[in-house]
Amino acid sequence: MKGIYTPVTKIRRQVFQEIARLAFEGGDYSRMEELPYKIIPGEVASYRDSVFKERAIVGERLRLACGLDVRPADKHAPVSEGIEAAAIDRLVYEPPLINVIPFACEACPPKQYYVTDNCRGCLAHPCTSVCPVQATSMVDGHSQIDKDKCLKCGRCAEVCPYSAIVKYERPCASSCGVDAIESDYLGRAKINHDKCVACGQCLVHCPFAAIADKSQILQLCHALREKENIIAEIAPSFVGQFGPLATPERVRKALLDLGFADVYEVAVGADLGAVSEAHHYVNGLGEKQPFLATSCCPSWSVMAKTLFPTIAHCVSTELTPMVATARIIKKEHPDARVVFIGPCTSKKLEALRRTVRSDVDFVITYEELMGMFAAKEIEFGAYEDGQMRDEATASGRGYGVAGGVASAIEACVKELYPGHEVKIDRAEGLADCRKMLTLAKAGKRNGYILEGMACPGGCIGGAGTLEPLKKAATAVTKFARDSRQPLATESGYIGELKKEH
Amino acid sequence: MKKITVEVCACTQCVLNGAMHIIESIESLKKLKVQLRMNAQIAIVPTPSLVEGKHSDISPVVRINGEIIEKASSETVMAKIISQGQRAN
Repeated sequence: MKGIYTPVTKIRRQVFQEIARLAFEGGDYSRMEELPYKIIPGEVASYRDSVFKERAIVGERLRLACGLDVRPADKHAPVSEGIEAAAIDRLVYEPPLINVIPFACEACPPKQYYVTDNCRGCLAHPCTSVCPVQATSMVDGHSQIDKDKCLKCGRCAEVCPYSAIVKYERPCASSCGVDAIESDYLGRAKINHDKCVACGQCLVHCPFAAIADKSQILQLCHALREKENIIAEIAPSFVGQFGPLATPERVRKALLDLGFADVYEVAVGADLGAVSEAHHYVNGLGEKQPFLATSCCPSWSVMAKTLFPTIAHCVSTELTPMVATARIIKKEHPDARVVFIGPCTSKKLEALRRTVRSDVDFVITYEELMGMFAAKEIEFGAYEDGQMRDEATASGRGYGVAGGVASAIEACVKELYPGHEVKIDRAEGLADCRKMLTLAKAGKRNGYILEGMACPGGCIGGAGTLEPLKKAATAVTKFARDSRQPLATESGYIGELKKEH
Repeated sequence: MKKITVEVCACTQCVLNGAMHIIESIESLKKLKVQLRMNAQIAIVPTPSLVEGKHSDISPVVRINGEIIEKASSETVMAKIISQGQRAN
């Protein structure tokens, strides 16, 4: 459903806007109790069987947007319980990041194959011939699947000439590339947090809005209201995310009006990463490390290290663009606090790592930021257009689209080591990333750069984006092409790299 | 050939409330002109603000050949364009 505006999208964004408004206005936070009635007005349910249930679910989403936990359904507690402690200008976070709101979950049945009315009871009925366990048989002139026998291999569906056999899957589970979606005692989705890598695809794909991640907008808006020295670092995929009027320069101006003291492009850090990884690719690979896996997508790198521990050392140890940029900012502005603005839920967890905690103070997504812009009534059309400060190269700005990271490293290798052969494989979506790593583990990707992106399309397909993939890719690519410097090696920050390494 | 001008309010509130998806939907109609038997040229114009002042209560706003549609959705906008485009035949 990515890129389609549905009632789920509407509610999610309303929640962000209302929480941002609450924080910018300040005052008595018990007003939060009124918000479910504002978001779900009237006496008649629009989406579910009861308007009370709709409001209760919105109440939980509001809490998550404040960084608070989901309330247990069997205990009395006001929506605003804990809000005063959370309404501060510092990060508030208690795991888990990604949460199922249990009573919003419709307990969709797990994966199965079933026969639809399209079945013509054909003479050939190849569905029975291909089933290895005789789960498919012809009953009263129609194909029938014995669920107890069925292996869910899907062979019957593949051979049906009428596409009469369909696969049914829970959207949250089918979108999860690490099999982290399990069931609770009522058959509702439950996240196995030992497996979850916080890519956020389940929350995008749940059609009942039953999954949400914790946000930091309440605390960030607080800090901005207090006029603290806060600097934004915005990921390369930001271009085109905020509507047709929001040119990169206008986004920068809007961020300044929101209260940020300055804005940096994360593409600056991406440039440094591309150059470092190019050196590493040429000089660091060998028997001990047969290939180089990129590290900028935290969901991919955590998955690689967790599921493939024997090749974990092949994941790049260079600073991710978010961290590299944050360190540059903190070096240039030692008193500043840094906010990473990006497409990604898992960056929220990366920022909590022990080694990163002091670099990045807040992480918010584009969708959350748009809620903040709306709450502050910031209009992109009110700004004069201009040229974005040209501090990043085309290579770094291309990181936001799948293939961009490997291309940037390849371009650096060609520049720095002419004639050196570069072999690339890449995958989007964690399921395909796993397949790629399986090949790598088997020794079939030796000498390769492996680019892994947890989200289909790369960062532009992240859970916190607003734009459909195709348009976002076009906008990011055009912005990158317009850069004055094409190669990461030409970055004005290249001196930082020498000191870092 | 009739021309249908669709102005889509691209203010922050309208973008938050789905204006970009409405634009996508209108663009998708251009590929269905034969199936829909539409003989009209569709021009999409994102506009800084179609309505004076705050309009969160009627957002997103779209104007089709001068006619304002409040609380627009991709469904209502596509239906309106199709009816105008088919009338042009």
